[in-house]
Amino acid sequence: MMLLMKLRHVSVQRGRKTLFSGVNFTVTAGHITVILGGNGAGKSSLLLAMAGLIPAIGDIELMGRPLRHYSPRERTRLIAWQGELPPTAFGLTVEQRLHLVSNCPQTIHHVACEMAISHLLLHALDQLSSGELQRVELAALMLRDAPVWLLDEPTSHLDFKHQIRLIHTLKHYATRGKAIVVILHDLQQARALADFLILIDRQGETRYGACEELFNRQMLCQTFDAPLVEQAVALLPDYGICPKTGET
Amino acid sequence: MTQHRALLVWAIVLAVSAGFFLLCLAMGEQWINPLHASGQDAMILWELRLPRLLTAFAVGGLLALAGAWFQVLLGNPLAEPYVLGVAGSASAGAVAALMWLPDTTWVMSAGAFVGAWLGIVCVMFFARSGPDKMLLAGVVLAAFWSAMLGLLLALLPEQTLFRAFSWMMGDVSGSDIPVPLLLAIWGGALLCGCLLSRSLDILLLGERHAEALGIDVQRLRQQLLFLASTVTALAVTAAGTIGFVGLVVPHFMRLLLGSLHHRVLPAAAMGGGILLMLADTIARTMIAPAELPVGILTAIIGVPVFLFLLLRRRS
Repeated sequence: MMLLMKLRHVSVQRGRKTLFSGVNFTVTAGHITVILGGNGAGKSSLLLAMAGLIPAIGDIELMGRPLRHYSPRERTRLIAWQGELPPTAFGLTVEQRLHLVSNCPQTIHHVACEMAISHLLLHALDQLSSGELQRVELAALMLRDAPVWLLDEPTSHLDFKHQIRLIHTLKHYATRGKAIVVILHDLQQARALADFLILIDRQGETRYGACEELFNRQMLCQTFDAPLVEQAVALLPDYGICPKTGET
Repeated sequence: MTQHRALLVWAIVLAVSAGFFLLCLAMGEQWINPLHASGQDAMILWELRLPRLLTAFAVGGLLALAGAWFQVLLGNPLAEPYVLGVAGSASAGAVAALMWLPDTTWVMSAGAFVGAWLGIVCVMFFARSGPDKMLLAGVVLAAFWSAMLGLLLALLPEQTLFRAFSWMMGDVSGSDIPVPLLLAIWGGALLCGCLLSRSLDILLLGERHAEALGIDVQRLRQQLLFLASTVTALAVTAAGTIGFVGLVVPHFMRLLLGSLHHRVLPAAAMGGGILLMLADTIARTMIAPAELPVGILTAIIGVPVFLFLLLRRRS
């Protein structure tokens, strides 16, 4: 189990407000860590701080070296971050967008098939639907050879079919050794994916632990400050795992 | 877009440029065949028309390059070199120089150059605050410079008023920058643009995504602002304010060649040059022996083309 990132006493501020403080956790190869929390809790900020894209207080280590000692280029080789693409009006095509991350046509072709966007390669980014654009961005992430993947709500805008496919794809990449940290809003998906959980509640308190340890009603109610029922709903997408009774 | 189509477009651009160059050289108050000119005709051709044509080519190319850069810098494909008020500050500088300095041939150019830089320095304060604030600051500054220009023009003695107006409408015949230097600047600017082209492509994805791909966005933005502003200042100094070239040409090239900058920038540098060369030739022949200010002509050509492109974009 290779240790790739280590966060100690990390806190992030937005303006004068401290979003969360004293976050401690490690990111290891081959495991998926899911970040859960309400709106504005600081999930995306935590991910951005891990990618070195916003300043953070505390120690963030990447492969045993402080993250801030890496040049932007070195960092890019080790960490791939995926977030929503802002609207662009310059007519960049999907193929051109993917070429900005990889020069290998075979790899692009392979990933485009995996994300079901082969038929969109010649379309301009501003002509795509949100779901299609999300798949393009996920493909761009998968083209990166980085050992650490950080994904900010990768299943948003995706239909059930592509959500399920993505869950399986992420599982697959994790078994091949990627360290994946992912923000999700859907508890089913979180349960299906997570080896470890990071819960950020409204007070900025964070908890880190194995999924089995933290994925229970009490913890989740506290994190989201909302009631959760234990009954399973009849129709749910099948993410490839059967929820065990008493765990939700 | 395939490699094949890019080559074809390039071959057409080069052939059209050569054709137009010879045509513009031949056209004038009297038709002179550039391939068989002698005596006084040769003098008119090589000493009057050629330098003017080359100045127009370089200035047009510089404006188109600056336009393409400003469009990426501000994240808006409809931005142009004067969008941040550089034209206004340059004009105010030129008119101020005309008013207060002894009247020599280069006085307006020097004033324009200083004015342009004054405008650029004002905008640079906002370079760190992102494209939206910078654009807003530029628009407000442009209004300020326009007001200053109005004030200076109101105070200007009547006999120099005409000179100020003809400069402000754009005039490639009165450039004080030597033609070889202008062409060298054109080449240098194009080279810088090509070196930055991949970073510019990545910047199209937005600042955060560019940073996540290892681009030092702050530094790139500053380099880009400096480069685009310097080029605009030089173009304004050489030929006054000439609108629409910097807006229409890069936009048109993007429609034709896609949005990757290693294709768009060289094509814009050539296309801008050809467009201004043509416009200037028409301006000096249409009502010969009198001349129209070339800035008026680029507006007459540029406005309908721009509106057409705008309609096409929406559909």
